[in-house]
Formats: sequence, structure tokens, C-alpha cells
Amino acid sequence: MNTLFEVSGVSVSFDGFKAINNLSIQIGEPELRAIIGPNGAGKTTFMDIVTGKTKPDEGYVIWGEKSVSLLGMSESQIAQAGIGRKFQKPTVFEAQTVRENITMALKNPRRPFDLLFNRVATDTEDRVRAISDEIGLTDALEQTSGALSHGQKQWLEIGMLLAQDPRLLLVDEPAAGMSAVEREQTTDILVRAAKTRAVVVVEHDMDFIRRLNCKVTVLHQGSVLAEGSLDHVTKNQDVIDVYLGR
Amino acid sequence: MQNTFIAKNPSVLWFLLGLSIFTVVVSILSEAAGTAFISTSFLKTLGKTLCLCLVAIAMDVVWGYCGILSLGHFAFFGIGGYAIGMWLMYDRTKDIVVSSLENNILPPTPEEITTAIGTQIFGVVGSTDFPVIWAFSHSLSLQLLAVVFVPGVLALVFGWLAFRSRVTGVYLSILTQAMTLALSLYFFQNDSGLRGNNGLSGLQNIPGLEAVSQATLSLWFFWASASALGAGYLLFAWMTSGKFGSVIRAIRDNEARVRFLGYHVESYKLFIFTITAMVAGVAGALYYPQAGIINPAEIAPIASIYLVVWVAIGGRGRLYGAVIGAAVVSLMSSWFTGGSAPDINLGIYTVKWTDWWLVLLGVTFVAVTLFFPKGIGGLFDLLARKEKQS
Repeated sequence: MNTLFEVSGVSVSFDGFKAINNLSIQIGEPELRAIIGPNGAGKTTFMDIVTGKTKPDEGYVIWGEKSVSLLGMSESQIAQAGIGRKFQKPTVFEAQTVRENITMALKNPRRPFDLLFNRVATDTEDRVRAISDEIGLTDALEQTSGALSHGQKQWLEIGMLLAQDPRLLLVDEPAAGMSAVEREQTTDILVRAAKTRAVVVVEHDMDFIRRLNCKVTVLHQGSVLAEGSLDHVTKNQDVIDVYLGR
Repeated sequence: MQNTFIAKNPSVLWFLLGLSIFTVVVSILSEAAGTAFISTSFLKTLGKTLCLCLVAIAMDVVWGYCGILSLGHFAFFGIGGYAIGMWLMYDRTKDIVVSSLENNILPPTPEEITTAIGTQIFGVVGSTDFPVIWAFSHSLSLQLLAVVFVPGVLALVFGWLAFRSRVTGVYLSILTQAMTLALSLYFFQNDSGLRGNNGLSGLQNIPGLEAVSQATLSLWFFWASASALGAGYLLFAWMTSGKFGSVIRAIRDNEARVRFLGYHVESYKLFIFTITAMVAGVAGALYYPQAGIINPAEIAPIASIYLVVWVAIGGRGRLYGAVIGAAVVSLMSSWFTGGSAPDINLGIYTVKWTDWWLVLLGVTFVAVTLFFPKGIGGLFDLLARKEKQS
């Protein structure tokens, strides 16, 4: 397992409040990693930094074999480099069909003229089909995605991430608002995806994390409190004090 | 590929068919055809309406599809009109000057001719010299390029600055409105080189075509406007269908998310903003020779706001909606303000439509926004749904 991605010594503060404080995390490829922590621990800010939405005050974010820094890159460049993000609230394009949503996300040339003059791959149909099979939405391809259930929207968004074919997937609370059956399917999708790429899941739900059965990083006040298997971190006294004990 | 595009968008075919039938019927009824059921002045109104429809579909693409509420597209329309107007005015004045100097004992030197043309054109603003921006006014082809590229370059530079700084929503609207206001105030200046508030006039006379009657000329312009509208409709329908259309609608709905999908949102916005500005310029260049006169009041911010109202009433996010909105509202506007609408005598107060038309328009706009957010075009959806159910 090679290191795909490394955050080291990153700090960021908003109006004097340190959201991230000297944070260092390494993710390998392939790897499935869960990040947990109480509210305000900096989980979402961490994702914002990685995807280019927030610029850190100090520290490095290094990516890939060539160890390029992500800090100078724009959101769209980072996405094209191979980092996909799923937001906490499902954000699919509700006015458009499931097919359109997936097609838009497919890894293809992305400049305006590429799209206008249809310089896109000819295997679009197959790839859309493969993604929709994976997320179980093949029957809903022509449906407006606004009409999907909450859980289906979450899957569609994960599907859009897979369509981008990223090397690193950042998934923010994928199981929020899902039924037990839906959670199970979501776990399956994520575990399968993590076989060939790095997947980072931010989640509150301990049962969900347990089912993922992976290395866990506990964040607290913007830095890493503990790291290891779920059993290991849940036995850690610090973790019990700040998080589980409450 | 063309076949599949038409097959996927049957409404394009219906629109082009309707436009062709309309053009043929109007042509047969025109004065130039001898039947004269449609007066030349009404033919001009219809031709101008087609140009307004063209700028309205451009507005619909930039606002209804891409979500950029531009309050500057009528300024681009006006610039197109000015660009063609400069050639029209220069060339016609030159003909007049040359023929009046013909009887001189000494043949006039080129300098004398230039000065005489300058005096004729710029006398009203107390000048005789040609401003720099008139450098190409002698050439039709260069001014035709200006029709497309001056609005295009202006939109490109302005859009690049605005989108790069991620100015969006109402702030962008204010910015575009400021641009429009600045432009119209500048055009009002006597030393702007565009004859200040006099504007450019006599544009209905086409140099070299003096022998052709206005009835025939109007019909030609009507045809040109109809062809431009058809071509513009086809262009925008093609652009907004398929994956490109999908991406710009996604930008409208959630710009940040599109960025995380790896699309460079700013390039897309800039492309749309620029190409619609260019089409607006073409529409203006066809409109003003039919109107005969252009002055800076035409490009005041209120005109761009009317454009928004047309698209909103017609139904944004669908091209035919913009056409319906522009046609219905602008024709009704000229009917109500032209004095042909009957006044309503309420006994204590007489409603004069020339005064009350704007109130009616305002109320309609508010009502449409509140109760029919999809506009007139949305009615087609309702009909289609009813048909499916029955």
C-alpha cells in the first residue's frame, strides 16, 4: 500500500477560532478510512481543505506519486487530479435526470468545446449503465433526480463520485437519514469502491463505522486524537473522555 | 448527428416550421407583394419584434439556462445597432456630400469631402472631426465584424473580470447594470463621438439601395430578421441540449457542486456570456435599420430590465418561452402605448393606456412571478401533461 495522499502540519483558523490545529493524516491507496469526532472537531473543514474550498494558514497537502501540492490548485483542478467529494447533504442536480447527472460526472474531457462538439468517449452508455447498476438505480435512469428518495439521492451522489473515477473519495456522512437496509447497501458500495482506490468516510454513526471494518482516525479540536482499529480507539481513554463518554 | 439532434428536440422543428409559415404569410400580405394587408410600418414592427425575440432567446440562455441574471444584454444589442448605424450614416452622408459638391467648378479634394461629411454628421454636437472610433465606418464589412466582435470582446473582458472574482447572483446583476448605465451615460456625452443624445438617424435608408422602395426594403429586413431568429434558435437549441446544456443548467442550480465535479465553471459562464452578447449584437444590427434611429436612451438599464421581464413572462429555461414573451409583450406594448388601445372611462377617472400600460405590465410581471413561475411557456407543459393523462 503506497501513500496516496498526505496532510501534514495543517492549521486553519476562522476569526481566531482554530478549526484545524496542526493536523497530519496519511491515506494509502487502496485504503478505506473512517474519520470520526464530535461536532466541531474539524471533519468538514478537513474535507474543505483537501478539495480546495478552504486554504489553510500553514502546512502541506501532498498528493500522488509525484508529491504535488494541492494548495495552489482550484477546486476543478483538484477534482480533475482525482479527488471526488460527496457532501453531507445530498447535492444532486434535482432538475435533471439520473442519467444526465451520471453522464455529467463521467470521467471525460471537461472543457466547453469538448462538450459542445461532442468530443466525448463513445462508451458513455456502457459506463452509465455500469455505474447505475453499482448504485442500484438502473430502473430510475430516466427519472428526474429530484423525485428520488433521500437514500437514492445519496447513492446517486456516490455514483457520480464513482463516475468521476477518482483515486481518492471523500464521503461526508453517507448514511445520514438512511434506513437500516439502505445503510447496509451503502456500506457494500463503499467497501467495494475501496478495493481499488482510497476512500475516506466521515461519519457519526458507530454501527456504520463498525460495519466498514477499517482503520479509524479520531479527530478532536482540529487534530488527531487517536488512530487505529475501531476496537483500539474505543479503548483509548482520551477518546472515551472527549467523545464516547458524553 | 443532425438527425438525432432534431429527433431529440422535436420542438425545434415545430418552431422553425411556425416561423417559416409566419414569414410566408406576412410576405404575401405585405405591401411589397401588392396585397398590402400589412402596412410597411407594421411590417417593420413585426421585423423588429423578430429581432427582439432573438435577443430574448440569448437572454434566456444566459439567465434561464445558465443562471446569470445579466442586466447588460440590451446594451450589447444597442452596440450592435450603433456599429451598423455608423456605416449606414457615413456611407449615406458621403453620397449626399459627393453629389452636392459635384457642381463645384473645382473638383473637391478628398480632405474637403471628409470635412464635409464630418460637418454633416457631427455638426449637431459642434464638431467636424471624425472621432477615432469611426475609423472603420467607411467599410461595411469591418462594421459588420464590429457588430459581432465589439459586444463579444466587451462581454469577454467584463465577464472574465467578474466571473474570475466569483461575483455571482444579485451582485453580478448590479455589476452588469452598472456597466449598462456607464455605457449609456457615456454614449449620451457629446464628445463620445456618437452624436450624444441625438444618436444615429436615417438608418432606414440603405446606401446603394436608394432605388428600392421602403416597402421592399422592409420585407428584406423582415426576412433577414426571421432567418437570424431561426439560425439563433437552432444554435441555442443545439447548445442547450446534450451534455453542454446539462452542465450549464447544473451551474445554474449549484455552481459549487459543478466545480467539485471537475468542471471549470468560469470558462462555461464566460463562453455563454460572450456568445449571447454576440448574438444580441447581431439582433441589434438588424433591429435599428428597421427602427431608423438609435440613441443612448435605447441602451439605458431599463431596456435590459424589460428584456428580463419578457423572458420571465414567456417562461425562462425554454427557448420558445422567450420568443413568446418577447413577441407578446413588445407587440402589446406598442399597441397600448401607440394610442390604439381604447381608453376606459370609469366616470370619475379615465384610464389612459398610454399611462397605465406600465402599471399593467408591472402587475402582470408580479403575478407571473408569484403564480406562474414557468411563464406562458409553462402552459405548454400543462397541456402536454393533460394530453398524456387522457
